[in-house]
Amino acid sequence: MSTYILRRLGQAIPQLFIISIILFMLMQAFGDPVATLGARTPPKPEDKERLRRMLGLDQPPYMQYITWLVGNDWQQLDMDGDGVPETNGSRKGILRGDWGNSLVTRRPVMEMIGERLPNTLILMVTAEIIIIGLSLVIGLYSALRPYSFFDNLITGLSFVGFSMPVFWLALSLMYLFAVNFRRWGLPYLPTVGMFDPAVGKTPWELIKHMVLPVSTLAIISIAGYSRFVRSSVLEVLSQDYVRTARSKGVASRFVVWKHALPNAALPFITLIGLDIPFLLAGAVVTERIFAWPGMGRLFIDHTERADFPMLMGILMLISIAVVVFQIITDVVYSLVDPRIRLN
Amino acid sequence: MSRKLYILLSLLVAVSMLLAACGAPAAEEPAVTEEAAASTGGETAAEPTFSGTATITFVQEPDSLNPLYTSMFFSGITRDFWLKGMWSFDNNNEPVLEIAAEVPSADNGGLSADGTTIVYKLRDDVFWSDGEPVTADDFVFTYDMIMSDANVVQSRYPYEDYVTSVTATDPQTVTVTFSEPFAAWLTTVFNYVLPKHVLQPVFDAEGTLDNAEWNKAPTVGVGPFVFSEWESGSHLIFTANPAWVNTPSLEQVFIRIVPDDAAQEAAIVAGDTDIGVFLSSDQIPTLEADGTVDVVAVSSGYDEGWFMNVNPETAHPAMLDVNVRKAVALATDRFTIINDLLDASINPVNATFWDGTAPYGGNVEPYPYDPEQAKALLDAAGWVDSNGDGTRDKDGVELVLRYITNTRELRKNVQAVVQQQWSLVGIGAQLENYSSDVFWNGYNDGGPQAQGIYDIAEYSSVGSFPDPEASANFLCSEISSADNPDGANWQGICDEELDALLNEQAVTLDVNKRIDLYHQIGQLMFDKVYYIGVWLDPDLWSINSRLQNVTLSGATPFWNAHEWTVAP
Repeated sequence: MSTYILRRLGQAIPQLFIISIILFMLMQAFGDPVATLGARTPPKPEDKERLRRMLGLDQPPYMQYITWLVGNDWQQLDMDGDGVPETNGSRKGILRGDWGNSLVTRRPVMEMIGERLPNTLILMVTAEIIIIGLSLVIGLYSALRPYSFFDNLITGLSFVGFSMPVFWLALSLMYLFAVNFRRWGLPYLPTVGMFDPAVGKTPWELIKHMVLPVSTLAIISIAGYSRFVRSSVLEVLSQDYVRTARSKGVASRFVVWKHALPNAALPFITLIGLDIPFLLAGAVVTERIFAWPGMGRLFIDHTERADFPMLMGILMLISIAVVVFQIITDVVYSLVDPRIRLN
Repeated sequence: MSRKLYILLSLLVAVSMLLAACGAPAAEEPAVTEEAAASTGGETAAEPTFSGTATITFVQEPDSLNPLYTSMFFSGITRDFWLKGMWSFDNNNEPVLEIAAEVPSADNGGLSADGTTIVYKLRDDVFWSDGEPVTADDFVFTYDMIMSDANVVQSRYPYEDYVTSVTATDPQTVTVTFSEPFAAWLTTVFNYVLPKHVLQPVFDAEGTLDNAEWNKAPTVGVGPFVFSEWESGSHLIFTANPAWVNTPSLEQVFIRIVPDDAAQEAAIVAGDTDIGVFLSSDQIPTLEADGTVDVVAVSSGYDEGWFMNVNPETAHPAMLDVNVRKAVALATDRFTIINDLLDASINPVNATFWDGTAPYGGNVEPYPYDPEQAKALLDAAGWVDSNGDGTRDKDGVELVLRYITNTRELRKNVQAVVQQQWSLVGIGAQLENYSSDVFWNGYNDGGPQAQGIYDIAEYSSVGSFPDPEASANFLCSEISSADNPDGANWQGICDEELDALLNEQAVTLDVNKRIDLYHQIGQLMFDKVYYIGVWLDPDLWSINSRLQNVTLSGATPFWNAHEWTVAP
């Protein structure tokens, strides 16, 4: 198995290299990072020109890519604008562990990602656990009682949940449980953020502030996932080996847990394996509405400012995670299903 | 399987908790101690007490807190709490002394006769939050850092173009010399100061301030509050600074980043925030419904307007005729547009570019809605519908104007209404929308305004509020072109009379005389229809009644934060 993992990791290197080139080319379409600089009025032309030169944005895209990849500490830069390079470059490039500095904040990309990643993981992992747990329970229950009242009810609610826009659901939950509950004198939840400044950063505050964003994420995803589990389990339950087990008089619970569920879980594991890397990316809309300081907001905020070092950092991190979790998924697959041999 | 899945999920939770533990910094203690307060030499007999938290929502997060590296509105307004300049501006846009002992003038000897030297006298009782005195050396250091090629600063205006030297005559005196009289000095020079004793060692060690820790965590400042904490994407906290000359009442100011407008509205209604910003007039009924929130309009000089392209090289030929431009103004019912899309009591139609910058706007009345007069003017100018297609034409050229703006939904709606209104007098409209970055691109980057690929451009703009300075946008020498790609005059205006007035005001330090010059400039641009006002665009703020004594200003909104209190 270790040979297999090493081979896959070896294949990932050219894969990531090609991804980085494609992403960098796409960055060119994101606009001009010094067009507005986030101000209400555009910067003065002479400031824009100076900033372009000092930030290396006046270089052709391939040179900017090379700087991002291998740095520029081997060349001199013209910082004073006299046309003569005089200052040593300071970038080392991603191959030497330097992910660059944000054009917006001028701070190291990895430092900024490091600040946001824990917040995103707290939110997304909690949501994912609830999504997986409830999807399994609901999907399994529906599959074991197909076309019952409960199954039909869940099917109906799934379609409602699946078709709700995230922003609408998020704002509806916020207005109901945070705004109107407070008006009606009922126990209420907070609207935005991770804690109340009057109370401070306590675990209970964090939990209270997580309820609405986690619910938003869960309602949307459970709808789809539970349908997936239901159809997988239904398909397995109609297989010959399940019928054989039942005809042999094996207890129904044993048939479901030992025969049906492990086989039905295989496609679900694939789905989760694909999902996990994107947990790092956060949830753009949910984080934005609930003012949750996660990766999704970091990405969208810096997309609006065409901050390509930050965007490259986030996208490459997700790309690496996708590659790694694909390998992990394959390994888990082989552990769950003895018929699969990785070698 | 379930056990393996359980292990996998447990592992994920453990990793996430580990990362969370690594990443979440502990709340820092307020940076200021009573020792610092005592070391300022201030009276310590009565220990100040602070109580209450003011919560403010920002819809954007500051890029940086170091003013060298950002020109963001949301970074600038935090400085009212923690990094004062020579003076702030009150709700009447009058200077309120902060670090300066007086506003330089000819009478007090602060302003030289030729207007090229300004002497700033500093108060001797102003201290950094760590107890060090604020001296003239701090201002010299600030100037040096702005001009240093080692720092990738956001803007060098106005120092690069106008200032020739900044010197410390003595610890309490800063002398600034200009290459020529610079009328906008009051609002643009030394709005902030950097702590030399903190940042000089960083600059000496690293050769730049670009990566200074102070940029994100400026634990030493000069204002009623002092920086305490900034969690990226989440919040900023400023705590009371007992060392400041005007001791604040509040214990802390908590700024929460809430990027979504609807979520900000919910937070305001729910009482989760005391001050909200960048609201729109359609939100007012919801916000004020409970009677606990007031929405106030504060002008920061912005007016929504139409900037007319009159460049013979790039504009539609009809745009070169002042009567056609006048007909465009008369054919547009801006009053109905405002009633339908905005709030006329907050956003009345403006006539000049400076109507939001009182008292420089004057008393010019906007053009009325008069489609019949518009038709008569167009007929007289020779633009008639000769081919019966519903659009006027002349010499084979159809009167279809390129009307551009950015992608903001409100502006798109205005475009659609205007297109319909113009069609009633036979003017065609080619509507185009650009993302903001493209809209503001310079000449060499294919910016539609800079290259003149338009006839009318709509946006909201301002001069150096509360100073009216915006000369570069309208001077003949500033017309953008291949030879002058950095030119700021994207309208191609080249008017000798206007040039003379703009040049005269730029070096006129007498305020009353300058106001009179701006009234003449506004009237001239109105008569020649270089600019058509669409609506005044003040900032809308919400203030919860639990937060008291809040008096916002347009230039330095939180100028009186030391007076804020929280209702018991």
